[in-house]
Amino acid sequence: MPTSLILDSLVRSLQAGSLYALMALGLTLTMAVVRLPNFAHAELITVGGYVALIVSMGVSTSVPVILCLAFIGAGLVALITHRAVYRPLARLNLSTYAMILASFAVGLILRYLIFLLVDRFDFFDKPVKVPQQVLIRTPDLILTSVFAWGVPTALLLMLALSVVLNRTDLGRQMRALANNPTLAKVIGIPVDRVHDLTWLLVGGLAGVGGALWGIYTTVNPLMGWLTLLSVFAATILGGMTSFAGTILGAYVVSFSENLLMQWLNFQFRVDFSFKPAVPFVIIIVVLLARPQGLTGLADSLNGLRRWRGPTG
Amino acid sequence: MTDLLRVHNVSKRFERLQAVDNVSLIVPAGQIVGLIGPNGSGKSTLFALLSGSQRAESGRIEFDGHDITHRSPDQIFQLGLVRSYQDPALFTRMTVLDNVLLPVKDQLGENPGLAPLHRIWRKQERDIASAAGALLDRVMLRRHYKTLASDLSGGQMKLLQLGRSLNGSARMLLLDEPTAGVAPKLARDIFHLVEALRREQGLTFLIIEHRLDVLFDFVDDVYVMHAGRVVAQGTAADIAANAQVREIYFGD
Amino acid sequence: MNIDLLATAIALLTFFGISAIMALSLNLEYGLAGIPNFGKALFVSIGAYTAGITYTRLLPLLVGKAYLDPCGETLAQALDLRVRAIHDQPGIAFLNLGLTLLIAAIVGGLVGSLVSYTALRVKEEWYLGLVLLVGSEVIRTLVRGYTPLICGINGLSGVTQPFSALDNPTLSAACFMALVLAIAVLAYVYCERLVRSPFGRLLKAMRENEPVTLALGKHVPRLRAQVMLIGSALAAIGGVLFAVNLGFVSTNDYAVGFTLDIWVMVVLGGVGNHRGALLGALIVTVLNRATAILSIWANAQGSQFEFNYVRYILFALILLWVLRFRRQGLLPEHAETTVAHDELSVQP
Repeated sequence: MPTSLILDSLVRSLQAGSLYALMALGLTLTMAVVRLPNFAHAELITVGGYVALIVSMGVSTSVPVILCLAFIGAGLVALITHRAVYRPLARLNLSTYAMILASFAVGLILRYLIFLLVDRFDFFDKPVKVPQQVLIRTPDLILTSVFAWGVPTALLLMLALSVVLNRTDLGRQMRALANNPTLAKVIGIPVDRVHDLTWLLVGGLAGVGGALWGIYTTVNPLMGWLTLLSVFAATILGGMTSFAGTILGAYVVSFSENLLMQWLNFQFRVDFSFKPAVPFVIIIVVLLARPQGLTGLADSLNGLRRWRGPTG
Repeated sequence: MTDLLRVHNVSKRFERLQAVDNVSLIVPAGQIVGLIGPNGSGKSTLFALLSGSQRAESGRIEFDGHDITHRSPDQIFQLGLVRSYQDPALFTRMTVLDNVLLPVKDQLGENPGLAPLHRIWRKQERDIASAAGALLDRVMLRRHYKTLASDLSGGQMKLLQLGRSLNGSARMLLLDEPTAGVAPKLARDIFHLVEALRREQGLTFLIIEHRLDVLFDFVDDVYVMHAGRVVAQGTAADIAANAQVREIYFGD
Repeated sequence: MNIDLLATAIALLTFFGISAIMALSLNLEYGLAGIPNFGKALFVSIGAYTAGITYTRLLPLLVGKAYLDPCGETLAQALDLRVRAIHDQPGIAFLNLGLTLLIAAIVGGLVGSLVSYTALRVKEEWYLGLVLLVGSEVIRTLVRGYTPLICGINGLSGVTQPFSALDNPTLSAACFMALVLAIAVLAYVYCERLVRSPFGRLLKAMRENEPVTLALGKHVPRLRAQVMLIGSALAAIGGVLFAVNLGFVSTNDYAVGFTLDIWVMVVLGGVGNHRGALLGALIVTVLNRATAILSIWANAQGSQFEFNYVRYILFALILLWVLRFRRQGLLPEHAETTVAHDELSVQP
């Protein structure tokens, strides 16, 4: 395979992987602390993308500003859905399936509200325009500042999350809730407050992921839903609750979608329209062959403390 | 008298906890045997191993001549070994009668091909309903046959569970704290029923109990467990006098 | 605006009949057996794709004509062949439909029971639901990409109901509606009788507590496979009727929104109650039609407002309302399973 193709798909794998990791960590957090497989997570990503778009069009094209506002915007939306829907329903002790249905419903409401707004203002498929510079230009590879924003920001946020989880009070409380919710209540952890902050964090991470994705590609009302498959695959690879496993999983998914797919296309003429099948195959293989995902194999990741959830 | 249940050196570990440690016991046919010990001594885990819902890591379990060490729970049930649970594990959204009818073997109507053709299984259903009526009578629930299981009192739930366990052509029952949370008079009634069933149908029982005062009046043999091991075995009188057992229970 | 009331009523009842069949199948799987089939659209689509295949491969065979590639160059001729076959030889058209229903039921049923075995290996209960959801979407993508099946993105037309041989469109639609409703009634009677039996008792037990049901001697994995077989076969039958009613087979129709519609029907109508499933199907169908009509009217007035979006939001809100305030749905489940209860009431 020619070098340019290799380098190109490598770059895309790293880019996508970093963003997937950001989005997937939010889902992992939701699973571990709140114990809800949240199908509305996709829309938090979309919200982040649209906040980024609106900010870039009206307020500022400075990337840090855009990302901050995306974090806050999506975080607030997440908090509102928790307070308005999930918390009241959880108090009724609904079954997991009912909660999943509820998260579906929430996702639909968010998605079609966005559709309505987007329709009114014609914001379909717009890229988030930020000043771009070409950083590297070789015959085989062109690297722009988009890459420089995407990957390091994602890594930085993952590091920050690790710090929060391992070295702050909040992190400790979140981990306690994840490990043993009944005990946590008994020993006096402010469950409601921790839940609120968790949702803010989850939304924020998804929002930044969405914003970066919008800078990397375009923003449309289905962008969250379309990446949800890959994001879920990453989370499942992480055994649903393993922090490091999810990050590793995100790169496995992105490398399979980009580098591997490119190779399959080059060697065997496999059409790119089969790309959506990649995360699905991963999900099926993991669920059937190794349901705990990559947990247990992630010990060797440097610099990131492994955090095991209740089922890790 | 033949041995109905034979347990040889079974062990089970959960992560860092050795829940069952090299346990052996024997229950001869037609006997009522007690299994006692403090909470966490591994009694319920042992039951889980016997009934097949957990897998023993080592050792052998024989029931009625069959090796059931690695059999699935439904197979073990079919052989005649039935287990009840500490928390009643009833089907709360079904009626008392439906709960009791569930375990009956060889129901024609359970086949999805035959189920829509009511005429084929209707007679059988009426017959087993009659039989269940008599059984419900014995556990004092006949009047409540239409009640939802969730609407019963705690004591009634225990009785329903007992009734349900009895309706599957069992040869031996593993009862897990059948009198927990039940008034003293009812507790004795339950044991009288157990004894009657042994007398009339030759049923065999292995019973986990904390109410030693009631248990000791009805059992032929007692095993004592502590920290996953069997630490003593003997008649009720022997065990009551056993200093080691008293220390385990009361810290004398 | 000109609304043909009769045509609307016929269309509505036809959609209701088809939806009822699908709602019954989900009620069986989730309402009674507790299996969260979030991939309902997949099994419905199996029926639709089967229809696509039989109408293009089997139908020509039955009328004694050569097979023409339905996509690509011979697209127009193949379409013409189909349409004329149905119009000129209605007997063959019926035979084709009958065979399609049979094949779809078999294929759907097999896939369903196969899928049920994946539940054995999964760590959390709801993983099965996720696998079904994801699987449904990806199969859809694959079929869309694999052109030979139903012409990929373009879809397949001329897959019409056999009564189109009649020249009067209203009569034709009414006859097909009658057929659909007859099948729906059969499905309802079958499902009712199926669950008012010891088998139904087994399902309810499995729904509530699988390990205990297993410990009481019942083979749970086989039970789950049986339920998925029946449910998926029903869904596939619904799919055939759905596609044939539209006259068109396209992957676009069987996305996640489809699954969600059926879930709303079951949850709204009453989980575990077949009459509830019918009621839910009726309400959802009426709401769907009403929003569609509203949408056309609004557009005719010059409004740009997309009522379809509102429909999704409305359904989502209904779903949330039910979950919050009336979890059991409109019609609660009937507790007594079989005639056994009558037996005991007779005795002293």
